[in-house]
Amino acid sequence: MRPFSILFFKELRSFFLSPMAYVIMALFTFLNGWLFVSMVRAMQMQASPRSLVHNLFASGWFWMGFLILFPLITMRLFADERKMGTIEGLLTAPVRTSEVVLAKYGAAVAVYLVLLLPVFAFFPLFRLVTGEVTAFQPGAVWGSLLGLFLIGAFHVSIGTLASALTANPLIAAMLTFVFVMLHYFLGFLQNFGMVTGSVWSEGMSYFSTTEHMNVLAEGLVDSRPLVYYLSFSVLLLSLTHHVLESRKWRA
Amino acid sequence: MIEARHLTKRYAGRTAVDHISFEVGKGEIVGFLGPNGAGKSTTLRMLTCFLSATEGTATVAGYDIYEDSLEVRRRIGYMPENVPLYPDMRVGEYLRFRGRLKGLGYRECRAAVAEAMDTCSLAAVERKMIATLSKGYRQRVGLADALVHKPELLILDEPTNGLDPGQIRQSRNLIRELGERHTILISTHILSEVEMTCGRVIIIDRGTIKASDSPQNLIRRLRRPGSVLLEAKAPATAATKLAAIAGVQEVNPSEDQDGWTSFVLATDPQSDVREAVHELAIRESWKVRELSSRTASLEDAFVDLLKEESPPESSSSLKTEN
Ligand SMILES: Nc1ncnc2c1ncn2[C@@H]1O[C@H](COP(=O)(O)OP(=O)(O)O)[C@@H](O)[C@H]1O
Ligand SMILES: [Mg+2]
Repeated sequence: MRPFSILFFKELRSFFLSPMAYVIMALFTFLNGWLFVSMVRAMQMQASPRSLVHNLFASGWFWMGFLILFPLITMRLFADERKMGTIEGLLTAPVRTSEVVLAKYGAAVAVYLVLLLPVFAFFPLFRLVTGEVTAFQPGAVWGSLLGLFLIGAFHVSIGTLASALTANPLIAAMLTFVFVMLHYFLGFLQNFGMVTGSVWSEGMSYFSTTEHMNVLAEGLVDSRPLVYYLSFSVLLLSLTHHVLESRKWRA
Repeated sequence: MIEARHLTKRYAGRTAVDHISFEVGKGEIVGFLGPNGAGKSTTLRMLTCFLSATEGTATVAGYDIYEDSLEVRRRIGYMPENVPLYPDMRVGEYLRFRGRLKGLGYRECRAAVAEAMDTCSLAAVERKMIATLSKGYRQRVGLADALVHKPELLILDEPTNGLDPGQIRQSRNLIRELGERHTILISTHILSEVEMTCGRVIIIDRGTIKASDSPQNLIRRLRRPGSVLLEAKAPATAATKLAAIAGVQEVNPSEDQDGWTSFVLATDPQSDVREAVHELAIRESWKVRELSSRTASLEDAFVDLLKEESPPESSSSLKTEN
């Protein structure tokens, strides 16, 4: 497990030593801070049947900022190593390809969680400052944290695979963005001209990120999204492993 | 140390390495010599487990490159072509990262890095960003990286590519020094390099091995005629007298100014006719201002080998430096 931790910390370091990390973090925190304030204002104006947590994470603005994180976090993982040629030194060191994939993936997930942290600090801060207890239940905060962790882990695995597919970080970023977006909009297909409760809408809701979040943001833990995101992450990571290994055989 | 059996690599439609078999013994310094595109890097990448062979296999220190890839990689210090490094890391930090990645413990790694930096004279740039280093320093960082875990075998792909003559001389000395502790396989398209550092040369062209021998034997085996240059004040008839010397095949006189003539004598391989020429000149009372011999070099041997069956363009990428 030692190569894993060495590579993991090397990835983390190189991310947090680059100015880009702080630009992303600042923009993401600012966007959500602004959103949070607007939500609170809106709920002051007019009572909402849903909680503050639900309203924040159901906002299209949140998702816009959120989905852009992943290409930015993952684009360099493998593509940059291939572009610079350092992948040769990396894969001829006595380390398993699987350790390399897991370390890079793990580091990207850790980076993602660090970027998410300030947003989750809003809720306890809000409660502390206003003393308002009816705006949301703590369970909703934990539920949505779990949801965002799962969704993020899945999206990072999309980015990891995309980054292994090309030697150009920009192409990796675009691929990741396209697939993350496609997956996001796949969830909305359940509403397309179909009666609620039909097989189609039931089936498509299984893919619906927003639907998963709605459930988890109520503080209800459902095992289906858990299985869904984790199994797809594992699948995409093993594909990444396969891509890196097949590079040896390819023309 | 290395035993390659029928190593073959085919890239979509073209065979880069074609059934190569060779051996490298423990303690040897072997030069892998060939023009650009000959398949040197491809072969080294198969040995270091970066690429898989299409056919054939190899063992390094007794371990198979497929079956025991990790063990093989543990025993190799590899410096890839063009020395890829992380530009955003500092030299010391980079070497410590590489040392740890190659399995050194924390303390062990600090000592090993200090030693490698000492060997490669890197102390002055320990805290510098790799992105700011000159080509010569980058090359030395690559070398320090290759030897930080004290591998039995060093594989260096064109280690002096892009250096200036002074730096080439330095790194050549360094490689010779390293040869006392490591087995070394070094690839290059520069002839003088192997001639001076390597005990054995494997010449490779278009994916096949053309020769494998010591530089001296290669030169001898090729039996290229030597040539002797004589510059003397002598009458035109001197050419026939020179041609009569045993071992001289042909004489080409060309007149210089003030009565001096240059004679270029083509001689049999390995026969040194200078003494006979000197005696002749004394007997005939010619004034001599130069008498020198030019023996075949490895370069000639190399060019001849490639000429044997190849179209002209393959040797055009050859380069000779100092
Ligand atoms: N990834 C690759 N895909 C296709 N062809 C390649 C690839 N790498 C090398 N080649 C071809 O294989 C041949 C040998 O290349 P290489 O081993 O790099 O030669 P050298 O190192 O001796 O200059 C060259 O003709 C080169 O064009
Ligand atoms: Mg090469």
